[in-house]
Amino acid sequence: MKILIIEDEPELRKSMKQYLHQEGYVIESASDYSKALEKIEVYDYDCILVDINLPQGNGLDIIKHLKQNHSKAGIIIISAKNSSDDKILGLDLGADDYLAKPFNLAELNSRIKALIRRRNFDGNKLIEINEITIIPEERAVKVHNIPVNLTAKEYDLLLFFISNKNRVVSKNSIAEHLWGDDSDQIDSHDFIYVHLRNLRKKLAEKGCVDYVQTIYGIGYNFKISV
Amino acid sequence: MKLISKTLVYYLLISLPLLGIAGVFSYYLIQNELRDGTDESLQKEKTYAEEIIKTIKEPHTVFLSTDSLSTAIPIKSSKKTDVYSDISIYDKTEKEYLNHRVLKSFFTYQNQTYLITISKTTLEEDELTEGLFSAFGLIISFLVIGFLLVNWLLSKILWKPFYKTLHELNAYEIKDHEQRHFSTVNTLEFNQLNEALNKMTEKIYSDFSQQKEFTENASHEMQTPLAVIKAHLDLLIQSPHLQEEEMNHLQAIENTTKKLASLNKALILLSKIDNHQFKESDSISLKNSIDKTIRQYSDLIQSKKISIEVIADDALTVNMNIVLADILISNLLQNAIRHNIEGGKILIQINQHSLSISNSGKPLTINPKDLFVRFKKDDSSIDSLGIGLSITKSILDTYGYSISYHYLNQLHVFEIKF
Repeated sequence: MKILIIEDEPELRKSMKQYLHQEGYVIESASDYSKALEKIEVYDYDCILVDINLPQGNGLDIIKHLKQNHSKAGIIIISAKNSSDDKILGLDLGADDYLAKPFNLAELNSRIKALIRRRNFDGNKLIEINEITIIPEERAVKVHNIPVNLTAKEYDLLLFFISNKNRVVSKNSIAEHLWGDDSDQIDSHDFIYVHLRNLRKKLAEKGCVDYVQTIYGIGYNFKISV
Repeated sequence: MKLISKTLVYYLLISLPLLGIAGVFSYYLIQNELRDGTDESLQKEKTYAEEIIKTIKEPHTVFLSTDSLSTAIPIKSSKKTDVYSDISIYDKTEKEYLNHRVLKSFFTYQNQTYLITISKTTLEEDELTEGLFSAFGLIISFLVIGFLLVNWLLSKILWKPFYKTLHELNAYEIKDHEQRHFSTVNTLEFNQLNEALNKMTEKIYSDFSQQKEFTENASHEMQTPLAVIKAHLDLLIQSPHLQEEEMNHLQAIENTTKKLASLNKALILLSKIDNHQFKESDSISLKNSIDKTIRQYSDLIQSKKISIEVIADDALTVNMNIVLADILISNLLQNAIRHNIEGGKILIQINQHSLSISNSGKPLTINPKDLFVRFKKDDSSIDSLGIGLSITKSILDTYGYSISYHYLNQLHVFEIKF
């Protein structure tokens, strides 16, 4: 799996690279518009993360360029602007997703995974981790092949954990994943606890191992050895 | 005081003394002229008397008038010059003293000298004064009426551009600066005024735009550094060697970063609303929007055991941008949930032209006037950014709707008038 990060801020580029590298992706990066164009001319990528505001150019033009060349790469826009106009424009141009800065790396990771899953039509549509099977198209979960009836939030929580398995995910990134912009308006940490407790109970009922470790106060780790 | 009244006052203040002086002058001039006139006619009568004297044979007293005031009396003295005098004589018919002009003249005919006394009533001084006063009064009234008329016409014609400018200035709003221009007129002074106003509003607008742009850019520029902090925190918490104490610090940093990010997001939203970047508008059913938002926050509402009631007397639809309408409703509902008490209630009422959201809760600790001011918040809400209601107000301001707050029956009531 090959990913290109087009981002001019070196610290952000570096940390994105570091986080995603652990997922086993091959990561390349470009710091400006012309370097990005050079890379996409030469190599094929599965996923391209593109910042809209770049030195010497606009990320949207890179998307145009990719689409003109019939690139099959999935595109995620990363923008500091979070303007709905940019978002609509980018998605119209053929981008697959839009992530506003500042974002959590766990969120970025789960977006990339979702994108790859959606694009990977011919591949396996199921996510299988030990006794857990997830069918994303149906938003369904099975444990030991027995369906588990999860609420929407519980399902999202599980998928987020699995996308970021063996990582510490902070409560804040879970909150932002589950409630988006509203997460800062609510006492989200209590709600995460409630949803997680229910999820754990439902999974345990079907004989699933409790993979979720609490990491002090800061978050959780869905620890699994495949 | 209106300019026209002020001018009138000054005009009168100057013209009244002038008219007074003119009155005094006129008085003496007229008096002189009248005397000259009387003297002339006295002379004429004197000549007539001399003619009569020439016809008589024996010298004797001749009465020249019926009231016996004008006489020709034969005397013995020699000839002297004519003497004019003013005397006052009691008139029995008028029953008052009347002014008389008297000419005493000496005429000698055939060695007999006659003293001719000719008397004529003259105009009374008070009559003259009275006449003059009424004349001047009339003049002043005409002047005032004329002045008012002229001023009225002038203000209609000459001052027209000024009133137009004034009207435009009153209607001036910085957000529609582009449509406002103080046009060229053919009066030099007003043209100068309009040019100065154009220059001034242009300057205000450009300062305002720069300020706005700065806020927007600053907020946008902060997003990337915030992303860097968040990314590094995400990496840092992966470290297997962290102890609980360190994790606590990290969580504090994380929470604060999140707060900072939310604040920044809110500021960007505010500047977008103020910059009118949400242009498209749709007809939005408030009931639908409210139902959707209630579903969205059902977790929260249930966890606080809040009972919620929606009374929709009217299918109120408003023309708004859908994004802004959602933000508006969710801000108000969040507010009603956040500041509610355990087991409290929320009452939402939709009428023909208004929407009210009421919630139970502790009384405010801040001045209700400050509720819609940015970063003013109740003491008890530490986690709140204190910006939600100011966003709500900004959204409503964009559409010219109003929001008010009152505390009634232990309920905090926010009412929007559409």
